[in-house]
Amino acid sequence: MIALKEIRKSFGRHEVLKGIDLEVEKGEVVAILGPSGSGKTALLRCISYLERPGSGRMQIGDVAVDCSHPSKKDIHRLRGRSAMVFQQYHLFRHKTALQNVMEGLVVVQNVPKEEARLRSVELLGKVGLGAKLDAYPSQLSGGQQQRVGIARALALDPDVILFDEPTSALDPELVGEVLAVIRKIAREGITMIIVTHEMAFAQEVASRIVFMDDGAVIEEGPASEFFRSPREERTRQFLRRMTPEAVYNI
Amino acid sequence: MGTSVDVSYVFEYFFRLLPSVGITMKIVVLSLLIGSAVGMLVALPRLYRIPVLQRLSQVYVSFFRGTPLLIQLFLIYYGLPELLKLAAIDVSRMPVLVFVVTAYALHSGAFISEAIRAAVGAVDRGQVEAGYAIGMTGFQAFRRVVLPQAIAVAMPVLGNLIIANLKDTSLAFSLGIMELTGKAQTLPTMSQRFFESYLALALLYFILSFILEKLLYRLERRLLRHEAADGAAASRIRRRRVKEGDASGRLNLTEEGALR
Ligand SMILES: Nc1ncnc2c1ncn2[C@@H]1O[C@H](COP(=O)(O)OP(=O)(O)OP(=O)(O)O)[C@@H](O)[C@H]1O
Ligand SMILES: [Mg+2]
Repeated sequence: MIALKEIRKSFGRHEVLKGIDLEVEKGEVVAILGPSGSGKTALLRCISYLERPGSGRMQIGDVAVDCSHPSKKDIHRLRGRSAMVFQQYHLFRHKTALQNVMEGLVVVQNVPKEEARLRSVELLGKVGLGAKLDAYPSQLSGGQQQRVGIARALALDPDVILFDEPTSALDPELVGEVLAVIRKIAREGITMIIVTHEMAFAQEVASRIVFMDDGAVIEEGPASEFFRSPREERTRQFLRRMTPEAVYNI
Repeated sequence: MGTSVDVSYVFEYFFRLLPSVGITMKIVVLSLLIGSAVGMLVALPRLYRIPVLQRLSQVYVSFFRGTPLLIQLFLIYYGLPELLKLAAIDVSRMPVLVFVVTAYALHSGAFISEAIRAAVGAVDRGQVEAGYAIGMTGFQAFRRVVLPQAIAVAMPVLGNLIIANLKDTSLAFSLGIMELTGKAQTLPTMSQRFFESYLALALLYFILSFILEKLLYRLERRLLRHEAADGAAASRIRRRRVKEGDASGRLNLTEEGALR
């Protein structure tokens, strides 16, 4: 479904992704963990092609691209297969919640307006914002904005939704409502890659954990095993730092 | 000349000036329409850092901002026909108004391009990326995400430009255009009541500016309706802007995906 092969990315002389291999099956929920600066955001941005990988091969759904020399058409098609939920939401501020969700359908996928509207209303209902259709982002709380962001991603019916720390810009009391929505769509079998620092959430919602450090995948495995018996020393160190005993020792 | 101000002349001239409002507004509207298109075109090379064009647009802006409008009017009136003659285009029968509108359009175009450039820089990069992420092309992201917000941000500056443009049209009489100011100078030739005529003229400009100001203010409110009206939310937005400005840097359109 999604296959990354030897993805490399450098900023100047600094190589931040050192040959990432990653496969994600349809319906899988993969959580990416790792210390700050390990390249998690860089990886998601490469998958969504907001950043150009220097080399490697990438396949999402039926679109395959050689990252050394992609054509503009490849990039555009690849971007069409994934959707992104940003840490800072990045909603279109001059558009209402409903318009934010409709935008991709109408402008990119050329869905007729009325149909796009119905689908968007339904999706906003699903993320619990049925009463906020006409609110502008400035009139919504952070948690509500992020849920609009999730609806906007869902609307495109992508092969994978990429989440980059979807709750880390939120006030603590708003984290729960967003995690609840992600949990809900995870159960619906939507393929997701989630970068998060919420260990308990990763353990609960992800079927597989990928641990990155210093631009490389250090260890990966089923969520249950990963937390119970991490193989690598670096993983153990990270988990010791990140998790209270209660979670670590389950 | 009379010893004191005769208000009845002020009234009379005021009403006799009214028909000339049309020609003044014609210059304003035409030059702003063309100027906006020019300003847009001139802003693009600098926003997208297109090598040679970027320099050219800089020179254009510096010239039209750095020389008096009156001189620009004369340069274009006398210079443009010569220039076009080189291209074997004869414009000797062209109405003067065409040159006047051209001059005002080029003049305001320079200011408009600067306003657009600054305002585009104020729209955060994250929204453009969100546009790309939902599959927009660079052009779609610019047109649907950046431009509407940039125009809203630029509205106060554009508003000042429009008012300034209205007042600047008073220079057009120096090329013999019978707009408001030109008319106001011919009205009192018999009565010699020049002061009354200029007073009526000032009053008329003031009323026009006042109406424009009100209209522009309403437009600005409309364009910014997405930024919550209440003070608390507004200051939250400002804080957020500042924060994001630090974090993600200014919008850099030269990056991947811009304007394809
Ligand atoms: N635009 C950029 N220019 C130069 N270096 C960058 C850029 N973006 C990221 N980096 C560098 O790439 C490395 C990986 O950064 P990345 O943002 O992917 O880390 P991360 O794992 O997401 O960290 P965090 O948990 O703090 O979000 C870091 O060393 C960072 O300094
Ligand atoms: Mg990150």
